[in-house]
Amino acid sequence: MKRIASIAFGWLVAITAAHLSLNVDWNVVRERRLPIAKRKLNVAYIPVT
Amino acid sequence: MACPVTDYIASHSRSGHQFIPRMFQGFPEIKEALMSNKMQAGFMVAPMAIALRAQGVPIKIVYLGHRYGSAVVVAKNGPIHTFADLRGRTIAIPSRYSDERLIVFKALKQHGMSGKDVKMVEMAPPDVAGALAADAIDAFSMGEPYPSQAEMAGFGRVLFHAREYWPDYISCVLVVRQDVIDHRPEAVQVLVDGIARSGLWLDNPPRRQARREHAADFVGRYYFRQNPALLRWALTKPLDRVLYQPLTPLRKDFAVIVDLMRETGVLDRPIAFEEYVDPQFAERAKHETEWRYEPGDATAQ
Repeated sequence: MKRIASIAFGWLVAITAAHLSLNVDWNVVRERRLPIAKRKLNVAYIPVT
Repeated sequence: MACPVTDYIASHSRSGHQFIPRMFQGFPEIKEALMSNKMQAGFMVAPMAIALRAQGVPIKIVYLGHRYGSAVVVAKNGPIHTFADLRGRTIAIPSRYSDERLIVFKALKQHGMSGKDVKMVEMAPPDVAGALAADAIDAFSMGEPYPSQAEMAGFGRVLFHAREYWPDYISCVLVVRQDVIDHRPEAVQVLVDGIARSGLWLDNPPRRQARREHAADFVGRYYFRQNPALLRWALTKPLDRVLYQPLTPLRKDFAVIVDLMRETGVLDRPIAFEEYVDPQFAERAKHETEWRYEPGDATAQ
């Protein structure tokens, strides 16, 4: 039982780490913590030359 | 293109990323994102920016994205060989508020035809080449790299480039929310300066070929998620297919756009240049020099 719980916990940690690494844009998270005056501008563009 | 080029080169400089570039697939989505303040600045087609300003949306044009780079494309082995052959045909355009629509009207007028002689349908830019290949449309009027995409794939042929009917043609412009201009002018200046430096970098005559090939490579891979060979085609065949100089918004160029918008019913009142353009940032950017960065360099200045 203990072994199953530790495997499940390890799996949970691995999936969470992968999610945080692949799906979270840390630049955006850091920007949102800054006061508005210091934040970088979000600039929209479309893929044309 | 100037947007991702600026971001990429700036990321190699001591100052690092100067803004956060966000890719969209269509201009209406950019419009919504600007209005809801999710985006503080954006590149959009000039008539859309003017129309939004005329409707009271608090944005201003501060710079241009590029010049030229739009074309009308038809099926390579299809029945359309001259402009007159477009009569009764369906032409895809990115938006009714686009220069790509206005260029069709300009050409129609020159050939003694009117808007009633063709059917124009709005389509997201990434969809037009596929629609032409599938015979869902007869032609499209669009910015690069979509004309190049149809040419490269072998099913499209450029009927005419915008410059053939419209000298000093403008398509994309950089717009910024008015509250950002009022409260964070230094951030806007950094953005405009960066775009100006990229324009100079991309259009430096002796190094243009190598730099454009390099730009096609990193923009295709890291920003547009497009085949770099396609961007290479769009930027170098020929080298003046798209130009990144001069990018200062000029009154005379916008007067042509406003007149055409009025004629074609997408602008219901006259609008003064000062109402939709804020030239202060472009004026200051005139003193900028190109990025000191060459393909393969680890750092930029």
